[in-house]
Amino acid sequence: MSAGRKRFVLSVLVPDRVGILRDISTAVAGLGANIDGISQTVAAGYFTVILTVTLDKSTSAETVRQAVTDAFPPGEASVIVRDYERRAARVSHPDTDRYVFTATGADRRGILKAVTTYLADKGINIEDWYVSFDGENVTHVGEVSVPSILDIQQVQSDLQQRLNPLGMTVGFQHENIFRVTHEVGAVRPLIVGRGNA
Amino acid sequence: MRETSDIMATVRMLQEENLDVRTVTMGINLNSCMAATGEQTALQVGEKIRLKAGSLVRVCDQCSTRYGLPIVNKRLAVSPVSILLEGRGRAEALEIARAMDEAAAEVGVNLIGGFTALVQKGMTPGERTLIESLPAVLSGTGRVCASVQVGSTKAGMNVDAVKLIASTILRIAEATREQKGFGCAKFVVFANMPEDNPFMAGAYLGAGEPDCVINVGVSGPGVVKRAVERLVAGRPDCTLDDIAEEIKHTAFRVTRVGELIGREVAERLGIQFGVLDLSLAPTPRVGDSVGEIYQAMGLEKLGAPGTTAAVSLLNDAVKKGGAFASSSVGGLSGAFLPVMEDHALAQAVREGTLSLEKLEAMTAVCSVGLDMIPVPGDVPAEALAGMIMDEAAIGIANAKTTAVRLIPVPGGKAGDEVSFGGLFGSATIAGVRCPAGGAAFVNRGGHIPAPLRGLTN
Repeated sequence: MSAGRKRFVLSVLVPDRVGILRDISTAVAGLGANIDGISQTVAAGYFTVILTVTLDKSTSAETVRQAVTDAFPPGEASVIVRDYERRAARVSHPDTDRYVFTATGADRRGILKAVTTYLADKGINIEDWYVSFDGENVTHVGEVSVPSILDIQQVQSDLQQRLNPLGMTVGFQHENIFRVTHEVGAVRPLIVGRGNA
Repeated sequence: MRETSDIMATVRMLQEENLDVRTVTMGINLNSCMAATGEQTALQVGEKIRLKAGSLVRVCDQCSTRYGLPIVNKRLAVSPVSILLEGRGRAEALEIARAMDEAAAEVGVNLIGGFTALVQKGMTPGERTLIESLPAVLSGTGRVCASVQVGSTKAGMNVDAVKLIASTILRIAEATREQKGFGCAKFVVFANMPEDNPFMAGAYLGAGEPDCVINVGVSGPGVVKRAVERLVAGRPDCTLDDIAEEIKHTAFRVTRVGELIGREVAERLGIQFGVLDLSLAPTPRVGDSVGEIYQAMGLEKLGAPGTTAAVSLLNDAVKKGGAFASSSVGGLSGAFLPVMEDHALAQAVREGTLSLEKLEAMTAVCSVGLDMIPVPGDVPAEALAGMIMDEAAIGIANAKTTAVRLIPVPGGKAGDEVSFGGLFGSATIAGVRCPAGGAAFVNRGGHIPAPLRGLTN
């Protein structure tokens, strides 16, 4: 980022419809901003997006928030804008492995709390989480970073002990098995260099 | 974020459709164990197996946990033991076999293959010793598996060896009479035997292979069956090429899982990864059957007209998916037809829709031969020899592997039920038609020349 420029992080929540990103990007472009990061998803008909934007240092967070809010009909969008903090962008601890958590079964209260509490206690960082419903059944899929020092068998056992009584079938597997079954790239680069880890 | 539907598809393959790695097989060359005496040789055989394979089970278990994927069997395959038997007698052969058996037990593997001789063109004294020692070896050990190659497309067929082996099979059955001839389930007769096959009982480490190597056998008939069922349920009018395409895509995924495991186990052990054998190997469990795949395609009765075409379709589609998935495909790599180990095949034999003759026809288009089939205990040696020759001829003429694993059940008659339990399953004893009709032909002995197809240079 060049001198005289400033970075903000921007979050927008709005009922999903065609043209939302167009409206947001038009608003920030009008302030002279460059969008340099974006992640969006739709859950239960609500569109949510997080962007990072870089613009002139003299621009305030409130100015950005107002510009984006004004891009929508009154009351349609919830907008949050904050100064970007570099420490928030720290990368995952290098001694971690990516695992995928899955749980399926009849939906009931307390499932997510039980899982996330356990993961947090073990220092396992949630990178992404998705929940879907099929009638009475729910499926949780989470991508997580697991410190390499953890005993995976113990983690698997702990999760089963917590969730099996709730009627959930649980999986906790290294991401490579999902990569090899659904990507066409070579397998060898996923393995080489692991040694006796 | 990956597509959650992709993630759950993989989870379903593991949790509901019996996807597993059927075997991680470590190949170990034992030629360096040759010593001045049989006793010293046996000692060194045990030491080398313990040295090379001591961590195999632990590492496999680590990988199994990491990926949430069962590795059903951890096994060993050694270089042909006949090489160690030159100048030795049957007692020393048994001593070496016991050393293999004990070392295999110590490192925690359930089977060790490679009590093997290759006699397609002729037989050395050591190879004869190995064959003659088989009744004692297969009745006196629990984990040792044996195999003999009697023919190849390059060499033709050694009929004298076939005759010796046929009579030996009867002696193995008799030596294991208390277990209904179970010793024969640990002995395979091959044509065009692959040097890197990880599946038992025919696994061995051939010439040209590394000193120590990891070969992997994947499986997943349940996964393929469910894929076909889903396709047919969603599109009842789907054509056979639609089914072939679905199998191909499924085989791709199954193959890649096997390569992931094989490469990681090899990396952790610091040895070379060899091949991935993408054979569809059934177990007696419902939902883990190759026969059920044919039924899912629309064959109501296995053995009905069209069955051989169904085997051919499946075999070809699996190979195409596997070949794209990995450059390390080897071994047998095709659909297996082990009657006792596949409840749907066993049921078809029981009901009489699947005969030995139809099974033989099916083996012309898949990777093995007459496999795990119980036959009457009074079957003449000439009939066994003729059946071995027929299968070998199919392999030799078509430049492919064929194998015979027949189990004469002492005291057993056609139609009797026999069960070995566990992965070895159960079946009805199959009748052998006209068992003495080929005796004069078989007894001529000698050698059937290599086919013109073998002259490829």
